[in-house]
Amino acid sequence: MSNTSTISLSDEGVSVVDEHLLDQDTKPVSIQINNVTVSFKTPKGIYTAVKEIDLTVRKGEIVALIGHSGCGKSTLMSTISGMVKPTSGEVYANGKKVTSPGPDRGIVFQNYSLLPWLTVYRNIYVAVDAALKDKTAAEKTALVETNLKMVNLWEHKDKLPGQLSGGMKQRVAIARAFSINPKILLLDEPFGALDALTKSSMHIELLKLWVMDDRQKTIIMVTHDIEEAIFLSDRVVVMNNGPAATIKEIVDIPLSRPRNKKDIVHDPAYIQIHDKLLNLLIDKFSIADL
Amino acid sequence: MKNLFSIKTAVSVGYFVAGMVIMGGIWALIAKLTKNEIPTPLATWAVFKEVIQQPFQNDADQKGIMTKLLSSLARVGIGFGLGSLFAIPIGLMMGSSKIAMRIINPMVQILKPVSPLAWFPLGLAIFQDSPKASIFMIFICCIWPTLINAAFGASSIPQDHKNVSKAFGFSTWSYLSKILLPFSLPHIITGLRLSIGIAWMVIVAGEMLSGGIGLGNFVWEEGFNGGSVAKILVAIIIIGIVGSLLDVCFTWLQKKFSYAV
Repeated sequence: MSNTSTISLSDEGVSVVDEHLLDQDTKPVSIQINNVTVSFKTPKGIYTAVKEIDLTVRKGEIVALIGHSGCGKSTLMSTISGMVKPTSGEVYANGKKVTSPGPDRGIVFQNYSLLPWLTVYRNIYVAVDAALKDKTAAEKTALVETNLKMVNLWEHKDKLPGQLSGGMKQRVAIARAFSINPKILLLDEPFGALDALTKSSMHIELLKLWVMDDRQKTIIMVTHDIEEAIFLSDRVVVMNNGPAATIKEIVDIPLSRPRNKKDIVHDPAYIQIHDKLLNLLIDKFSIADL
Repeated sequence: MKNLFSIKTAVSVGYFVAGMVIMGGIWALIAKLTKNEIPTPLATWAVFKEVIQQPFQNDADQKGIMTKLLSSLARVGIGFGLGSLFAIPIGLMMGSSKIAMRIINPMVQILKPVSPLAWFPLGLAIFQDSPKASIFMIFICCIWPTLINAAFGASSIPQDHKNVSKAFGFSTWSYLSKILLPFSLPHIITGLRLSIGIAWMVIVAGEMLSGGIGLGNFVWEEGFNGGSVAKILVAIIIIGIVGSLLDVCFTWLQKKFSYAV
């Protein structure tokens, strides 16, 4: 994988050639969302969360779904995980129509969702045990160990989630999702509850895990953090405000990898993408705009 | 445990002693006002020492106080155990299924307010045996708090935990043993604690009705019919101490099975 890229800035915006991106179109499709609408019955009538969404994600891509709170980005992701059934349209993941959650799609939940009565080790083991039924006990134990060591939590394996910091809990949740080795990883505002410093190091850790797996995992991430979205993803899907949210625009992030947290913010291409996303998401920038 | 002799412990003991002294003072005052119709603490202490002579005596005509206490505890234990075995699964079922809740809840709401003593004659009619009727009464009164708390626990499982189960494809058994039961356990223990408290109150009343060996019978036969108010007071103190010890046990369990989120 080459990281060479040429960047030229023009009045139209950024144009970047990145070989990693060039072969993107030839990679197999990982997730296919066809004309998906999700409506919920509420006491006040039918509420449409997202409407007529089309999106194709290729294998190994990292895609961020960004938008304001309540814009339906989590709902859209839940149609991929199978937690929510589309009212119309269909979702294909790994070539199969999504009808229910499955171990080919790992989920990292917004609030970690660890079981508070189980130790760190047991939290991962019960998930592996449930998801990978054909593995032997020894194989499962080995998987738990490898993944806990990968997130540097092996020495904390006997602690309960209540004894861990937010960042550590999120690492457990990520290790749990990785340990069932899913082809698709779905992250629902994974770092939203973390402080800025912990968040930055979690970004690097996530990319490390992704690279260690040869960039084979497709990652979909819901976020409302523009910097996070640009730093991690290949594409950022900007959603309109709900109800009946649609895709406002899909912004390519043609920045070469590996990306450097410190350097990237000075990259003219980064700055331009950042401004573009800000303009798409926010319409008031100072008290003069009120 | 290492701080057993710390200042904090000494202060707690001090407050406890102060409370007891105030209670003893009020008691002594009442004894004085009733011209020893109610015996003084000291007179009661003398009777207490007499009562706890040969506590485990178990002759046909003469039973020691411990024999009576254990007999009451055994009835409570059996009734409470059976009641809990019945209440916990049904409560969890009610909490997990809206249909089960809607079918069972009306029955619970109608039967729950019935005084446990009202079940005693029914038990007597069914079993033709007063100790069994007492156990039946305890069984019934131990059902409600446990059932209601177990149902509440099961119905308040956070969506997050259910999502984990769905996302990783937990089997029904895994869901029950890894999520439903551990989450509901603190609520179940709260129910058990309420149940044992009620059972301990009810057994005394039950034994007054039923006769036989037990603390309730001791209060009635030896205390009231025997004309010894001191014995009634001794029984009240024993019942109180045993009841609070039972409560301490369940409070300990409650602490042991609560967890930080």
